[in-house]
This record gives sequence, C-alpha cells and structure tokens, in this order.
Amino acid sequence: MSADRSTIQRGVLGALTLFVPAIPFALVFGLAVVESGLNPFVGWSSSWLIFGGAAQLTLISLLGSGAAVAAAITAALVVNARHIMYSAAMAPVFQHQPKWMRWFGPYLLIDQQFALVSFRTEDDPQTFRTYYLAAGLTFWTLWQATTALGLLIGPVIPEEWNLGFAVPILFLGLIVVGIDKSSKLVAALVGAGVTFLAAGLPSRSGLLVGALVGILAGTVTERLKR
Amino acid sequence: MTVFVAIVIVGLGTYLSRAVFILALANRKIPDAVIVALQYVAPAVLAALIVALLTDGDGNVAIGVPEFTSFVVGGAVAWRTKNQVWTLFAGMTVYWIVRALV
Repeated sequence: MSADRSTIQRGVLGALTLFVPAIPFALVFGLAVVESGLNPFVGWSSSWLIFGGAAQLTLISLLGSGAAVAAAITAALVVNARHIMYSAAMAPVFQHQPKWMRWFGPYLLIDQQFALVSFRTEDDPQTFRTYYLAAGLTFWTLWQATTALGLLIGPVIPEEWNLGFAVPILFLGLIVVGIDKSSKLVAALVGAGVTFLAAGLPSRSGLLVGALVGILAGTVTERLKR
Repeated sequence: MTVFVAIVIVGLGTYLSRAVFILALANRKIPDAVIVALQYVAPAVLAALIVALLTDGDGNVAIGVPEFTSFVVGGAVAWRTKNQVWTLFAGMTVYWIVRALV
C-alpha cells in the first residue's frame, strides 16, 4: 500500500513539474476562445473532449478567424497525428494492462504524459498503471482548471493588448524547441513559405497545402542527407 | 452547434490517434516511411498555422515590423532557453514595445 502511495506521489509530482510550461498555453487558449467570439462553454468543452492544447488552439482560432469548418477540423487532426507515434511506442506496455485501462489510457496520452511514462515502461504492470493514472489525471485536472481560468481572465484584458498574437508566438516556440535536426527546420520553413504563397486560396485551405508540402520537404531532405 | 460537432470530431480523431496501436495494432509495425514523415508533421503544420493565423480575410498576410521583430526575438529566446514561458514573455514584450514605437 505504501509502495502505491509513493508511486502516486511520484506521478503527481512529475506531472506538476511538466505542467508548468503548459500554463501560458492554457491561459492563451482561454483567451483565444474569448477572442474567437464562440460560445465560451463550447470552446472550453474541447479541453475534455479533445484534451490536447495544440489541436484545441488550432481548431478554435481557425474557426474564429472564419476558416471553413472542414479545413479547421483537418488542420487540428493533422496537428494531433503525432500521437500515433506515442500509441505505437506504448502498445507493448499496454498489452499487460486490463481491458478498461487499454481503452481509458490513450485518452490521457498527451505529449507530457508520454514524456513521463516512456521512462517507466520497465515497471511491473500494477505500478505502471498507478503511475500512469496519477500523472495523467493530474495533467487532466490542471488543464481543465487553467483553461477555464483563461476564459475568466479573457474578458478582463483590454483589447488593445492584442493578446491573440500570443498564439503564433507559442507555436513558434513549439517549433523552435522541437527542432533537433536541419531537416525539421526545412519542413518548417517550406511549410510557412508555401502557406504564404497559397494564402489566396479560399477558406484558409492554403494551410493544408503548406503543411503537406512542408512534411514532404522534411522527408526528402532527410533522404538526401543519407 | 457546428462548432460543438467540430470539437467532437477532433476529439474522436485525437483519441483514435492515441489509441490505434494500443487497442488494435499492437503487433503491427509502422512502416519506416510513415515514421519518418510523422516527425515532420509538427514543424510543418505549426509553421503553416502561424502564417494562416496572420492572414486576413482577403488572403493578405499581415506581418508588420512588430510581428517580424517579435518572431526574431521570440525565436532566438526559444532557441537559447528551450523554454515556452520565456519565449512567450520575450515575444509579447517586444511586440508591444515595437508596436508602440512604430
């Protein structure tokens, strides 16, 4: 029992530490909902229906800026496609988990959760499950609370501050921090450049063209380097 | 209503992308080409998103001096610190200062 308790503590602590960088993200998301003019409660419902900051921010800010619904949905889904890698990496560990855990666990598999639990795959199934749930539910609770807080703060902040600009800055930060090889830089630059050239396409569909060409450019660059 | 449906669809899709291998394909390997391509999804899409968010309704990309300066400084801070909080702080501060000056 005490072993369980210390596992829970470690999970909660790990999640608390990794959540700190997500706080501005959560607040900016709340502000973006307010700025988009969408129903705040509907916007916030994405925190538990999607539970993924980048996709939530993508969907809400594109819908708020008048993009076609289909284009916004596609963009948000593409943003979250990286989770397929996490799912594949976690699949062997989850084979030793009960069925309910195999169904519920993936719901909590956000970036930070993956970063935490990928170091715990050698634990016995019971300990792994306790740690996974402690960390995941901590992330979940904090995310619901901080995005709601962003919604409450949103209307109080003067419009002249133009806080909506925080969204592209956050995305830029995510890109730069994630760049660990030159081919990723190529993917980002080509993605931005092609979207710029395709900006005239209707309903912001240029974004999808830019993203696809960017992914292709990164892949080709990696091929050429080998 | 449309917005709520859109959120539900993205929620389902997100869950599927997190669950697909855990629930269904535990013994399958992802083809190498797909793994390579998946690495480039985040940088390419996020960069495309930045441009899309700065595009106005007429298809003009509205990047002025404040935005550009903010990106350069924010990008440099992100590179040096690897820290989102500092990046956001630096980017927004520079944006406000340059906007007040221009």
